[in-house]
Amino acid sequence: MIFSELYSAYYNAVAAVLKEACNRKLSPADVRAIALQKAFGESLLNIEPALRGQKWQLLLPDGSTPIRHAPSMPLTTLQKRWLKAVSLDPRVRLFPETIPDYPEVEPLFYPGDVLAFDRYGDGDPYEDGNYIRRFRLILDAVENKTPLDIESVNRKGSPVKYTVMPAYLEYSEKDDKFRLIAWGRRGQICINLGRITSCRASARPLQYDPAKSRTPARETVELELYDQRNAPERVLMHFAHFEKEAEKLDGDRYRLRITYDKEDETEMVIRILSFGPMLKVVSPARFTELIKQRLLMQKNCGL
Amino acid sequence: MAYNELIKNFGRIRDYMREFYLYGFKSREEFTKKSARSYDDEKRRLESWLGDCMRFRQTPEGKNVFISIDSRLSRRNPLYAAWKARSFTDGDITLHFILFDILYDPALSLTLSELTAEIDLYLQNFDEPRTFDESTVRKKLKEYVNEGIVIAEKRGKTVYYRRSADDLPEIGNLLDFFSEAAPLGVIGSFLLDKMPPREDLFTFKHHYITGAMDSEIACTLLTAIGEKRCITLETVNRHNDRISENHVVPLRIMYSTRSGRQYLMAYAPRFKQISSYRTDNIVSVRIDEVCERYDELRARLEQMAPHLWGVSTQSASGQRILEHVSFTVRYEKDEMHIHQRLVREKRCGSVEKLDVNTSRFTADVYDAGEMMPWIRSFICRITDFQCTNRELERQFREDLRQMYALYGLEGGEEK
Repeated sequence: MIFSELYSAYYNAVAAVLKEACNRKLSPADVRAIALQKAFGESLLNIEPALRGQKWQLLLPDGSTPIRHAPSMPLTTLQKRWLKAVSLDPRVRLFPETIPDYPEVEPLFYPGDVLAFDRYGDGDPYEDGNYIRRFRLILDAVENKTPLDIESVNRKGSPVKYTVMPAYLEYSEKDDKFRLIAWGRRGQICINLGRITSCRASARPLQYDPAKSRTPARETVELELYDQRNAPERVLMHFAHFEKEAEKLDGDRYRLRITYDKEDETEMVIRILSFGPMLKVVSPARFTELIKQRLLMQKNCGL
Repeated sequence: MAYNELIKNFGRIRDYMREFYLYGFKSREEFTKKSARSYDDEKRRLESWLGDCMRFRQTPEGKNVFISIDSRLSRRNPLYAAWKARSFTDGDITLHFILFDILYDPALSLTLSELTAEIDLYLQNFDEPRTFDESTVRKKLKEYVNEGIVIAEKRGKTVYYRRSADDLPEIGNLLDFFSEAAPLGVIGSFLLDKMPPREDLFTFKHHYITGAMDSEIACTLLTAIGEKRCITLETVNRHNDRISENHVVPLRIMYSTRSGRQYLMAYAPRFKQISSYRTDNIVSVRIDEVCERYDELRARLEQMAPHLWGVSTQSASGQRILEHVSFTVRYEKDEMHIHQRLVREKRCGSVEKLDVNTSRFTADVYDAGEMMPWIRSFICRITDFQCTNRELERQFREDLRQMYALYGLEGGEEK
């Protein structure tokens, strides 16, 4: 069962409190600080009084505990079954870490039991030894903040060289691709891992200041949504992963504001067009023009 | 009953999270037809669990509450918090930490009476020490044996208890990734919670986090699939709130990377057909008997796969005949990526390059209607569209006409 107190934020918070109390006597303020860090916004109002008031008989009035060892809990069968299922995912080989076998349990699911039906067909080659080696090198550089010399090919197939300080890896499930987000001489850059031809630790020291670097611009598009063919639900689910705000205007009209990264504007245009006449761009005018241009081009297609 | 930040049942909060996260335009009054107090309590809980993700907007109808999350920036799914808010009794938590402190080493094994006596020693210095009788301790141990964290071994007539030896392996980076990218990632999130705080190395683009709310349902479905068992589903019709019961054979969970929607593909013996059920509309799942025909039904689903664009196994008219679809796009010499888009994004069917500027996609699918959003994403270059479903063909052209009108590009006025 997933919904169990064994996995709860309160149990985790109390474990952290007791771990600390094994070493020293805790004040109520200490307990509240740990609860705030480990549980929810209001949890400190419950956890500290419950321990102090001896409802949970784990912390004595002087702030010490009868617990002798830092609390720990073995893996549950559910956790082992999930890890075993993950171990069957081809992407697991990208990681140098190893999941133990757990011979006594069955995987919670097999790859064929859960399938994405609309993932793009040209995902990264997770079984390719060279790709795996590069991925591990990059992951290590991200973790340890060490610069990399990277050779890649751009969209037109031309070779490009970079010396970068890796920031993090970004994964898109739709594209089934990883991208490295890094700082280069010209600010933040994104490099598709699938396009990298060579990658090695850089001997060149790289001075960078993220604060001075260019960060991706964000834009907001305002849309009007018409309640036909179950469009409100389809549209709101489709754009759910963005920062967004929806408002009901009248009987069958809704206003929707979506904030997106400017670099993804063409993708946004395409996604909005895919909803046909159920969705109309209201502002900014610049975005409306992008839609109009495409519609005018379509009119000239002779369909 | 006084307000409690923790909850015993997930069903109600699941509904509120769905409303606040996906829609977010309903006023308090629209929620409070049944119970104003329930609305206020659930809202307060979500504020505590989700912090800044909860937003408010004042409207003439009142204050609207909504959840706004840019999942590309958040790095970890904030909705997992709800799964970490299960309530428990004072005795549960006290017993939990004492039991695992007594059984701190997997080499140690104790009987029930030894454990009960040890527990008393832990509690003796409290002002009013609790007493756990043997039956309470036995019940808790049985629970933990079922969870796999305690192992019970019989030696002669006596049962000895010890902790399981499987501790969390050092797989932090792997968990960072799979807690977001794998099905039932919330379980990975539980594991991450046991680790010291660490820097997140991954972000996720096009990342739909909605499925997290259906984790328990998905977990039960996958258990039934693993055991090749039939199930009884309770599903809700969102338009009229009616609940219906279906006895089905669960075959596979399918999900969309472009909407986050998740479906159960299942065979319904009553209708003798494979259909899809949205997991967010499933209220409960009961696991029933083993299905003797399981492998045959799963093979039938595999056979259907080349003609499934999404999850629909019949057209909007209810017919189960294949619909032929074909459309042609044109592009400039320097726009070869358009042809590549067709190849990359097609889920079935074929793409044919007609000449240097033109490509054609064709497919035979159960429901061509599912394909329309994708075809419309090529607007500005579609030169031909044919479908054996004439109504759909008419609708496609009518939609284009309406779009022209919407932007004042042909006839009609702007809406």
